[in-house]
Amino acid sequence: MLAYIVRRLLYVIPITLGVTLLTFVLFNVVAQDPVLSKLGKHATQAEADILRKELGLDRPLPEQYLFYLKQCVTFDFGRSWSTQQKITEMIAGGMGPSLSLAIPAFGASIFFATVIALLLAFVRNIKFDRTVIILCLAGTSISSLSFIIFFQSVLAYKLDMFPISGFDASWVDRWRYLILPMIIWVVIAIGGETLWLRTVMLEEVFQDYVRTARAKGLSENAVMFKHVLKNAMIPIITLTVLEIPFLYTGSLLLERFFGIPGLGDLTVQALNSYDFPVIKAVTFIGTLLYIGFSLLSDILYALVDPRVRLG
Amino acid sequence: MASFGKLVLALSFVALISCTKSNDKYENFVKFAVIGEIKGVDPVNASDLYSGLVVGHLYDTLFEYDYLKRPYTAVPNLTEAPPKISKDGLVYTFRLKSGVLFQDDPCFKATNGKGREMVAEDVIYSWKRLADTSTQTDGFWIFDGRIKGFTAWRDEMVKAGKVDYTKPVPGLKALDAHTLEVTLEKPFPQFVFVLTMPYSSVVPHEAVEFYGPDFKSKSVGTGPYRLVKLNRNSEVIMEKNPTYRKEVYPSEGMPGDKEKGLLDDAGKTLPLNDGVIIKIFVEDQPRWLNFMKGELDYVNIPKDNYDSAMNGKELKPEFAKKSISLQIAAQLDSVYQTWNLEDPVWGQKNPKGKLLRKAACYAIDSQEFIEKFYNGRAISSQGPVPPEVVGYDPNLKNPCKDFSIEKAKELLVQAGYPGGKGLSLNFETTGGTTGRQIAEYIQQSLGKIGIEVKISMNTWPEFITKQRQKKAQFFGLAWGADYPDAENFFQLFYGPNESPGSNNSNYKNAEFDALYKKAAVLNDGPERSALYKKMSEHLVEEAPWIYQVHRIYFYMSHGWLKNFKKNELSHSYGKFYRIDQDEKARLKKGL
Repeated sequence: MLAYIVRRLLYVIPITLGVTLLTFVLFNVVAQDPVLSKLGKHATQAEADILRKELGLDRPLPEQYLFYLKQCVTFDFGRSWSTQQKITEMIAGGMGPSLSLAIPAFGASIFFATVIALLLAFVRNIKFDRTVIILCLAGTSISSLSFIIFFQSVLAYKLDMFPISGFDASWVDRWRYLILPMIIWVVIAIGGETLWLRTVMLEEVFQDYVRTARAKGLSENAVMFKHVLKNAMIPIITLTVLEIPFLYTGSLLLERFFGIPGLGDLTVQALNSYDFPVIKAVTFIGTLLYIGFSLLSDILYALVDPRVRLG
Repeated sequence: MASFGKLVLALSFVALISCTKSNDKYENFVKFAVIGEIKGVDPVNASDLYSGLVVGHLYDTLFEYDYLKRPYTAVPNLTEAPPKISKDGLVYTFRLKSGVLFQDDPCFKATNGKGREMVAEDVIYSWKRLADTSTQTDGFWIFDGRIKGFTAWRDEMVKAGKVDYTKPVPGLKALDAHTLEVTLEKPFPQFVFVLTMPYSSVVPHEAVEFYGPDFKSKSVGTGPYRLVKLNRNSEVIMEKNPTYRKEVYPSEGMPGDKEKGLLDDAGKTLPLNDGVIIKIFVEDQPRWLNFMKGELDYVNIPKDNYDSAMNGKELKPEFAKKSISLQIAAQLDSVYQTWNLEDPVWGQKNPKGKLLRKAACYAIDSQEFIEKFYNGRAISSQGPVPPEVVGYDPNLKNPCKDFSIEKAKELLVQAGYPGGKGLSLNFETTGGTTGRQIAEYIQQSLGKIGIEVKISMNTWPEFITKQRQKKAQFFGLAWGADYPDAENFFQLFYGPNESPGSNNSNYKNAEFDALYKKAAVLNDGPERSALYKKMSEHLVEEAPWIYQVHRIYFYMSHGWLKNFKKNELSHSYGKFYRIDQDEKARLKKGL
């Protein structure tokens, strides 16, 4: 396994080089000149030339690319074109609030979806199963914006159960602001996840080993939890682990509606203002996380399923 | 049943730890919301409305707009009195107030963190920062070509690659610690207006040097507040600056202000509250719900909540019962659609292009446009200059604002395009529901006279870049006044300001340019008024824009917020607001 891990880690070099090159070409070659959109409303061509120089965009492209590579290697992405903040500080500052919302909410939605899916697989094709499927389908059909507007309006405003919006940097107080967005996250995500996991479970339920287990006289609980769930773990791991890298940019809509100073809003602001250094940094970190978690999922496959051999 | 009980218990627990509790620390802070992020608090980068608003509360400019008086009047802020102006209008002498202190900060090493007194050299230093390209400011335009030798000074520094702040600018002299003399290249009657803009705020060099690039996130000003928290996309908290000089609430206002209680605090020391909290809500719903819950003291009614709040132009009775009141404030802006006038068909190269542009104007029903997109909250524009701006002509009449499909068709015939045959336009717009809806409305309106309109959606940077590269054929935009003088709107049609400058329709007309140049150096008076009138009439006749609307904002405020009079040009209005604590406690119970 160690050799596999080392080999996969070595793959990181060409993959990240490829990603940096692609990102660079997209933003420094293909994209529109960012300078004209950055000037104020009294722009002149002379101002544009000065700003281009200040941003280093007048340098040859290979030099600009090498500079970007250096930033990636040193994890010093410079400063935002828009706010002049250090990008590493911006990302570190936004990641905390984003992950505070995303990780518990994502974990809860996966947990509840797994439990419900297992239950549905257990009681499949009865009225309860069909009702839950209809509810899940309805849930996936309604836009997430509608859920946010409804829950914020009813639970926070009308019933006064939660603050309407806000965030507290202290680890103790932040949760009272995060619980409602977490609930909404779970409500939005659980329908699709449950339907998908139910399908996975049902595929397992009809396998020969389940019939054998039942024939051996095992209780239905033992069949479901010890055998079906264990064998369904690979797709569950795939869903869970590969989704984690995307969590770090948070949820744009939830962050915007609830005033959470996370990375979702920061990334969209960067895209909307052509803040290329920020976009490139977020993309690069996202790539590293994705590679890291892909490797982790491979390792977990081997741990949960002895048939999987890494090599 | 037991499970259900557990669920109820769990939910109750969640609600208990989550339930809203007011934070007493901020009870006497004024709270309101804006809809865009705060980019930073360095005055030289205060190019957008929201950053300017925060800078305005933290720093001071030499002048500010009188809080109550209309039309907007610039009054001394850091100066003792209005400037002494030489007869030729070129030399301005400013007497600065003495005893104005920068807030305490570790950057003042010589005084062990105690803020020192602001002097005339600080003003010169701060303005020189606008010429320092390493600050990435876009604010130099306020002085460019206006202060004697300043543009040449900047060019020299750009060439040298580094700014030498010790090198003097010929037009900027500190005669003594509290006297500043500014010499202009040519008369600029709006000069005092630009000295109200956050760009021109005064900063201490110690702070800039001490914090380096992080100065964009720090504030060391002389303003009424000091920065406590800056979270660019969610919240800014500012508390009362304990070393703020003695400034008082105005004792004169407009007729009716006294009756509204707006002079009750006349003569009282500013600020009238302990601080200001600005929330950033890009979305309308949280802004609206927070106001309705009493978490914000006032709100600009969001478009989608208008019907639930208003009966026509009146506030619904249930709001009045909660002591919520309505205030209507005209925006000093102009919303328009325009063409790249270098276009061979629609532009100035086609002698009949003017007829086509007027036909398009006739084909758009301005009243319906206002109802559909502004809930009736806008004034149909007759020309580019909005009301409450010096030079606005209330008698100006633009014939093509009288919606008429017949007239539009007739003009198309005159232009050689009967039935609009062969005419097409590419309308560039930005993403977002309203942008798309407006584009579709224009598409339908022009479609009625046979003009085919294609819609191109853009991100904001794409949209701006296309205009500045003269690649946008037809597009819509708004211009907000930098200062309340029609010159600021007329410069949008001045030939030398063509793209990438502010004249984004690339309108060029020698007659108009001559009028503009002549008016630009004149003080307010009959001669300039006559020129402004001529320029407005010229712009109606030549139709470079479809003058669409001047927006009006409807604000709702809670009964506990005192002295609320929306001043659309002030950047530091928070200091005038007062929270009536007893009333707040009483009224919040009823929300």
